[in-house]
Parts: sequence; structure tokens; C-alpha cells
Amino acid sequence: MKRRIFCFSFLLAGFAVLATSVFVTAAAYGNYFASVKREVVSETGYIKAGYEQTGIPYLEAAGARPGCRITLIAANGTVLYDSAKDPAQMDNHLNRVEVSQALESGVDEVIRFSDTLNEQTYYYAIRLDDHTVLRLSRTTNSIYSFFKGLIWLISAIVAAIFLLSAFVASRLTKIIVRPINTLDLQHPANSQIYDELVPLLSRLKRQQEQLAANRTELEDQKTEFSAITDTMHDGFLVLDSGGQVLSYNKSALRLLNSPLANPSGESVFTLNRREEFVRMIQSSFTGAAQEKIIEIAQRDCRVLATPRLEGGAVLGVVVVITDVTEMQEREKLRREFTANVSHELKTPLTAISGYAEIITAGVAKPQDIPEFAQSIYDESRRLFALINDLLFLSRLDENGFVSRESVDLYAVCENVKKQLDHYAAEKDVALAVSGEPALIRGISVVLDEIVFNLMDNAIKYNRPGGKVTVTVSRAAGGCRLSVADTGIGIPRSQCERIFERFYRIDKSRSADIPGTGLGLAIVKHGAMLHGASVKVESDNTGSRFFVTFPFDYAEAIPYPS
Amino acid sequence: MRKMYDNQLGVLHERLIQMGALCETAIACAVQALLNDDDALRSATKDKEQEIDLAERDIEQLCVRLLIHQQPMASDLRQITAAQKMIIDMERIGDQAADIAEISSYMQGSTVKSDVHMTEMARCVSKMVTDSIDAFVSKDFAQAQAVIDEDDIADALFSKIKTELIDLLLRTNGKLAEDCLDLLMIAKYFERIGDHATNIAEWVIYYLTGNYKKQNV
Repeated sequence: MKRRIFCFSFLLAGFAVLATSVFVTAAAYGNYFASVKREVVSETGYIKAGYEQTGIPYLEAAGARPGCRITLIAANGTVLYDSAKDPAQMDNHLNRVEVSQALESGVDEVIRFSDTLNEQTYYYAIRLDDHTVLRLSRTTNSIYSFFKGLIWLISAIVAAIFLLSAFVASRLTKIIVRPINTLDLQHPANSQIYDELVPLLSRLKRQQEQLAANRTELEDQKTEFSAITDTMHDGFLVLDSGGQVLSYNKSALRLLNSPLANPSGESVFTLNRREEFVRMIQSSFTGAAQEKIIEIAQRDCRVLATPRLEGGAVLGVVVVITDVTEMQEREKLRREFTANVSHELKTPLTAISGYAEIITAGVAKPQDIPEFAQSIYDESRRLFALINDLLFLSRLDENGFVSRESVDLYAVCENVKKQLDHYAAEKDVALAVSGEPALIRGISVVLDEIVFNLMDNAIKYNRPGGKVTVTVSRAAGGCRLSVADTGIGIPRSQCERIFERFYRIDKSRSADIPGTGLGLAIVKHGAMLHGASVKVESDNTGSRFFVTFPFDYAEAIPYPS
Repeated sequence: MRKMYDNQLGVLHERLIQMGALCETAIACAVQALLNDDDALRSATKDKEQEIDLAERDIEQLCVRLLIHQQPMASDLRQITAAQKMIIDMERIGDQAADIAEISSYMQGSTVKSDVHMTEMARCVSKMVTDSIDAFVSKDFAQAQAVIDEDDIADALFSKIKTELIDLLLRTNGKLAEDCLDLLMIAKYFERIGDHATNIAEWVIYYLTGNYKKQNV
């Protein structure tokens, strides 16, 4: 801008100076030359008059004075007198235009230039009465040499203009640009600036509004997108062809244990740099989908990397990360359970088929057969109990019990006591039920099983001469069943595990103490079905099981006493 | 042109992260090899060490190419300079992990290591390496500073192990004494790895701020 202003003002001023000087010079020169002409013409008049009176001597006298050159030419062209040169040496002047014209028409004038001397000469010729021609001439500097004399002055002025233009250009640029530079681009319409810029400002304003609208829309979309994806439990990442993160959700950062909080535009390996992860992402960029379970920060993550292909080139990769830790654990439990079930089912069957084989082969002594039959009977009873328990549990698992009725927990306990009295006496354990009637909205078969299993365990794992105390109490929140024994107790570390299916604390002892290993699992699931919580307390003086039924399941109507 | 240059800088960043990950794996393998007497992990450490050497050469070449072709300035130049320095430390970490794995093979079955604070030392140093690389990945000044501060803990642990080993040496003889000396070497290697992690953290700070060891360079 500065350069353009400078060029412009310099050219303009320079041109003005040049044009002015040229025209002024030309006009001044024109005036000067016209006065020269007038002088020559009037002098010719005087000299003519003088000559006509006194002849050549007058011419000689006049020619000696400075001023015009005087030439007298005869009608045949011979030079009769010349004030500057010897007439004898001068050639015939008849070929000179002014002379011949003057002879013809009486008067003539002509201007001749001498390029080499940079002069111009004005000739004025008149025919005298004696048919000679009197010619006067005056030589002046030509207009070019006149102009030449001015050239230094003009150069000095142009140089001054150059400096002035530079100064003016820089000042002017500053003055013009300052308000433009301080323009408030956020609110262009508010700026007080040149009228010429108003169209630009209004265009800026429109563009800004458009941009703001686009940005808001984009941000809304992004917020909406991240609001949806951030609630996802699974992590996902979208990578561009260079492996940089285009999009991500919070779960992805959490699952990958990312050190970065905002990885947009960063390499995917900044999120996690485990070798397995790096390898699988790299191979996904070769175009093949990858799936792998990787352990990240003590959690098992299934990582699925699917490349997006177009025309054989990988445009990007979508990575989905799922936390499968619990799934893996459940899978492990399921496998253990299956193994346990087959083992538990096989053990009695092996015994039964063994005894049966001996009898069938006829190698058993007849007196042993009743004992074998007893064993076969016992084992099949055990198998039966086991299958019953399993079926019961699977019914509990599938919520197979729907009908609920009013059940008195105290009555259930009394009932179970009757069933177990004989067994308790056998084990030399005193069995006592105390408390008050408590109505529960529940499933009587399941409640029966809960109480039976708890009391059965309490007797089974008791010491000879010990006792089992069953208490049913009503509390504000609902009602509580507690079964306390004076038995061998449960190690604290095992208290959580005893409710697992087939879990026996002391595996070596499980052969001596009969049981399916499913009792407490039934208690736990039965209680869950009733919304009840099961708690166990244990020390070396015995164990206490508490099953607390919440208010919802307790009957609202007070039991008639 | 600029885009290609940016891409190459991105590749450099990525390669450094991968090399850092290799270092982490190498240390993890060495630590497990030492604590669990695992021969498979011992050879795994050696393999990782070789991979680290290869990675170092690759990154070095990439840096030189970038310096020659692009004549980087300001923070780009710092990134490349820091990378050139960091790979030297990472390579040393790899070597020392391999050394630990090798020494641990001389003391198989020895239980002396559980009598001293070796597990703590291993854990502390592994964490320092992971943190220094995390600091680089996330360009986190505070984390890099934390690694530098943590070096004091590693040094203190080394002194502690040394005192414990002196005690043991005074009370034992024969094979046990040899194990003690081996353990001292291992502890020293861990301590050196801690120093290298500190160096990496210092270069991260240089990369971020232009200051190396609190001096503007």
C-alpha cells in the first residue's frame, strides 16, 4: 500500500512538474522569439530607410553595432554586403528561400535550425526599390538549449518531490491504515470508519454471523454426540488413516487407562502403548479386522479394531473396547460349577455301579449283599438329594416360584424342628425354637428349604452336646430369623465363599459329613427371592446366621395372639 | 511440504512412545524374571533389549533425516533434540533390564532377595519409567517434575538395600555372600534405571519449556 501510494504521488507530482516546466518554457520561449521577430522586423525598417538614403556605408555603420547580422544581396544572388563575413567569400544566395521569395513577393521570413550549435536563426528579407534584397537575421538559442539550462533546476525539484512523496506516502498509509487495523472484527458494524469500507464491514458481519451459526451447530452436534457416547459403558475410538484420534468417548479413556484427558488429534498410542494393543492397531491398518482380549490396568478388555476400507485403502479404524472382566469371571465360575456338578454326580454313581457290578458278577458273598444294598440305597439317596437340590436351585434361578401366600415363619421353624428332632438327637444336639409368630408374604416351599438347610447345617457342624437356637423376631423393618449354633465355626476368610455352589470349607472332611454343598446356595437364592439379606457371624464358639426379611415382605396385619 | 514435515514429526512422537513401551515391557519382564525366577521372561527381556536397540537406530535415523531435510526451528528443533537424547536413555534402560535378567539367572532359587527391599525398589523404578513416558505422551510438566523428585526415593531405597545387604553379609558366608553381591549389583542397576527415567523426564521438560535442568539452553 505504501509503495503504491508513493509511486502514485511521485508520478503525479513528477509529471506535473515536468509538464509545467515544459509548457512554461515553451510559452516563455514563444514570447521571447516573437519579440525577437518584432525587433528584427522594425530594425529592418530603419536600416532600409538608412540604406536608401546613404547606401552601403550606412550598412557598414549599422553592421558594426551588435545586434542583427545584415546582408545585402543583389538581384542575381551575389552578396553585396554582409556584416559578419567577407562578401567575396560567400556563395550565391539566390537559392536561399527567403531571398528568392523576397525577390518575388517583396518580403519573406524563415527560421532555420542548426542542430549542431543548438541555435535557431530568424531571417527577415525585404526587396528594396533597387531590386536588391536586404536581409536581417538574428541567432538565438534554440528551445532545447533553453530547456537544457533549466534541467538542473528541474532535477532538484524532482528529487525534492521524491523525498516528499516518500514522506507523504508513509504518513498517509499510517493515517489510512490505523483505523482499519484497530477495527473490531467481532463487531464490524459498530466501527466508525470510512464510508468506503461500509460494504466490506457489512459483508464481514454477515460472514461472522454465518460462521457463528455453523460453529454453534457443530458444537451442538458434538455435545449431543458425546452426551450419547459418554453414557456408553463400552469405549470407542475413531481413528483416521494416520492413526490419529478423530473421536472418542470417556469410557475409552477409562478402559485404556489413558494418561491424556483430551486425545483429539493425537496418535492412538498416546492412549495406551501396550505392545499387544500397538500390534493389533497396526495390523488393523493393514485392512484386517482384529479382536483380542488385552489386560489393561488389571481389567480384561476385549478390543475390536475394524478398519474402514475404500478401494483397498484404509480410511480409518473404529476401535471398540469392552470390559469383559466380569464376563470372564462368570465364565470361570460356570466352568467350575459344571466341573463340580459332574464330579458330585459321578461320585455316588461310581459307588452304586461298583457295588452293583460286584453283585452282578456273583463275586459278592451272600452275607455282604445286604450291606452292599444299603450302600447302593444310601448313595442313590444322596444322588437323589443332590438332584433335588439342583432342580430346586435352578427353579430359584429361573424365578420358577410365582405364587406367594401368607406364611408364618415361626410355624415353618416349628415344623422343620419336628423333621430334624430325630437327627439332632442322633448327633446329641439340643434343638430349640423361640420367638414370636411372624407372617411373611412368601413362598412356603422356599422358606421351608431356607430354614431346613440352616438348621440342618447347624446340627451337622455342631459338637456333641452342643445346641442350636432358632429365634424368630419381629422388628420395625420386617422380621428376622436367626440360627445360632455352638459348632466348629467358619474361618472369617471363607464367610463370603460358603454361599457358592459346591463350596465346602474343608474338602477333606466333606466325605465324613454328608451334604450336597448346595444348602447355603439355596438359602442365599431363596432369601434373594424374598428380598431378604443373609448375614453370617462366626467365631470359635459357633456360627450365627441371620436372615432379615424387609418390611415389604412382612405381613402388614398383626398376627392375632 | 509442511504437512509432510508435520507427519514426520508425528511419526517421531509415535515411535518414541513405542520405544518407551518397549522399555516398560523390558523392565516388567526383568522384574518378573528376578522375583519369580522365570527363565522364559529372562529370554524375553533379552529380546526386548534387542528390539529397543533397533528402535533406537530407527529413531536416530529419522531425527537426522528431519534435521537435514527440514532444518527445524524452535519447538520442532527441541522436539527432535529431546528425542535424540531420550532414546539414548531408553537404550540404556533396555541394557540395564537385560543385565538384571542375566544376573538374576546366577542366583536362581536364592531367597535373599525377599529379605531386602528389592520388590519395593523394582516397583518404584518401574513406576518412574512408566511415569516419565506418560509425562512425554501427555506433555505433562507436573508429572515430569514428579518423576525427577521421585528419584530421591529410588536413591534412598538403594542405600537401604545396601545397608541391609551389609548386615546380611556380616552374618552369612559362602553362596549367600555371592548372592548378596549379585543383589547389590541388581539394586545398582535399578538405581541407574531410575536415573535414566529422571533424565527422560528432564528432556520432557526441555521439550516443553526449553529449559534443561532449570537453565535456558
